Parts: sequence; C-alpha cells; structure tokens
Amino acid sequence: MVETRPHERRGDPNVAVLLSWFLPGAGHLYLGMFVPGLLLFLGLEGLYALGWWLADGRTFEYLDPELQSPFATLLTPEAGNLGAMLAHLKLSGFGVGEPLPFAPHAVLGYLCSALSGSLNLLACAHAHVAARTRRRTGALHPVLALLAAWAVPGLGHWLQGRRLRGVIVAVLLLGLFVAGTLLAEGTNLSRERHFYYWSGQFLLGLPSLGAELLWGDVRMTTEVPHVDVGLLYASMAGLLNVLAWLDVFGVAERRYFEAGVVESSGTVGA
Amino acid sequence: MKLAEHLGFFLLLALVIVTLSAFYSEPEDGPALRSLPRRYGVFVGACALVAAVMLVLAQLFVDVS
Repeated sequence: MVETRPHERRGDPNVAVLLSWFLPGAGHLYLGMFVPGLLLFLGLEGLYALGWWLADGRTFEYLDPELQSPFATLLTPEAGNLGAMLAHLKLSGFGVGEPLPFAPHAVLGYLCSALSGSLNLLACAHAHVAARTRRRTGALHPVLALLAAWAVPGLGHWLQGRRLRGVIVAVLLLGLFVAGTLLAEGTNLSRERHFYYWSGQFLLGLPSLGAELLWGDVRMTTEVPHVDVGLLYASMAGLLNVLAWLDVFGVAERRYFEAGVVESSGTVGA
Repeated sequence: MKLAEHLGFFLLLALVIVTLSAFYSEPEDGPALRSLPRRYGVFVGACALVAAVMLVLAQLFVDVS
C-alpha cells in the first residue's frame, strides 16, 4: 500500500473501508463525499433489493441443508455487501424447509444480489484510495483498472499498457473457464446445482455472468463424465482472477500516487 | 477416469496457477516469464510429493480392500 502524508488524507482508510463494506456509501459519507456516497448507497442497495425481490428472498435456500448457517453465506459474493446480506438472512433466512418452486426470475435475482456484493468491493477500494489522497491525478484510477480487470480478465492489464500480460491472462483464464464449461457440459452455470463452485466462478466477472444468462438452464439427461474437473476448472478461473486483480490494483495504485507526487512537485516548483 | 487423463488435467491447471502466481509475484513481464519453468517444476514436484505421501498413508492406514 502506498502511504501518504496525514495532511493529504480525508480520513482513516480502514474505517472508510469497514463502513463501506457494512453499508455501501457510508465510507464516502464518512470522508465527506456526500454525492458519491448517496449514489453508491442507492445504486448498490437498490440492486441488492431488486435481486432479493426477484428471487423472492430464497437465494440461500440453494445451500445444502447441512451447510445452512450464517458463516456459510460469508463465502458468497453477496458478502461484499455485508449489511444487505445480513438483512437478507434476517428477513428470509434459508426458507421454510419445504420444497417450493422457485420464483420465475430467481436466476436474475441472485445475479443482481451477487453483483451488488462484488461492486461494493470496488466501492470499498474507492473509499480506501479516496481516504488517502484528495488529489486527482492524470493516471488511470486504480478502481477503474480494478473494474476493468473484474469485468474482463486481462482488460485491466491492457488498459495499463501491459498488453502481453493482459493477453496471456485473458487466454489462460477464459480458456480455463471455457474448458471447464465444456467438460461440465454447462452444468457449472447453475448456482442451484453447485453453490460454492459457482461463487468462485462468479469472480471471473462478465464472462461467467454472460455465459450463465445465455446457457445457464442446461438440463442434465445423462451422466456428465468430467463434471468434477469442469467445476474445478471454472471455479479456479474465477479464483485465479483475484490474483490478476491484485496485480492490476497494486500497479495502478503505485502509478496513481506517484503521478500525484510528480504533479504536486511541479505545481510547487512553478 | 484414466491416470493419463488425470495427469493431463492436472498439468494444464498447474500451468495456469503457476503463470498467474508468477505474474502476481513479478511486476515485470520478462522476469515473470523466465521464472515459469522453474516455478512449474517446483509446483509439479511438490504436488507429486504430497500425492506420494497421501498414497503411502492410504496404503498404510486406510486401505480397506
């Protein structure tokens, strides 16, 4: 993490992150950034609420009965928006324990709530950067780079000018995801079937989201011989994308703060 | 599943894991790519060692055949 001088800071970055994690926008409000804070709160809480409503609050019913506990839900993308997830558990829990048909838009619903959690992690990262500096520099904002890396594997590296690395990351991670999906014959694209593998796979960003929306309703009619390998590959593609995010964010953060120091020195010199 | 298939699937996944971890560890492309063969060898060797220990333990303690 790049350190800044106390007078440059808006507040404590750790406090800003914790507040944002619990309540989207709260970290920005703590830093005095009222408009971004309000927009993040409305956008991300609204997205989670929409997901909760579309899925009839039954997303966590997908968990196997023996795994249904509050700690189990911490391994889901929804945990990125902790306050909303806790409210979800309080309001809907794990269902009534009787087999009932799921809501017609349940898939879209859980994609919305998972997306809200993932995007709130980006908001947390933004609060952390905003807490450490008041300056805006000409360099690519670390959160924008992170958003690109989350959305499409390799895109964050590409935007940073590290194109060879971006292409290698994209080929490897997307190739692994496609191979996994083919080996699992599309059965990996279902949170209902594979709750935790799905959580890992969701970290791949838009490719996994798009694939699920397009081909997520595969029916199993025969045994899938390589389903275990397929699930492992698709899930690992998402988990390994986290390493790519950290790589992108670390470099973007360093460049952003170094650009700020150079610009600041130039202003003083003039 | 045949042993060769298992090994093939493992070696492919290991390549992706090692490449991403090399990129995470090395900010420059050149050193990261040059370190790949060594990292790959260490990773595969270490996994083989763990698998061997597990097989020995299985034979000694949990083989119910």
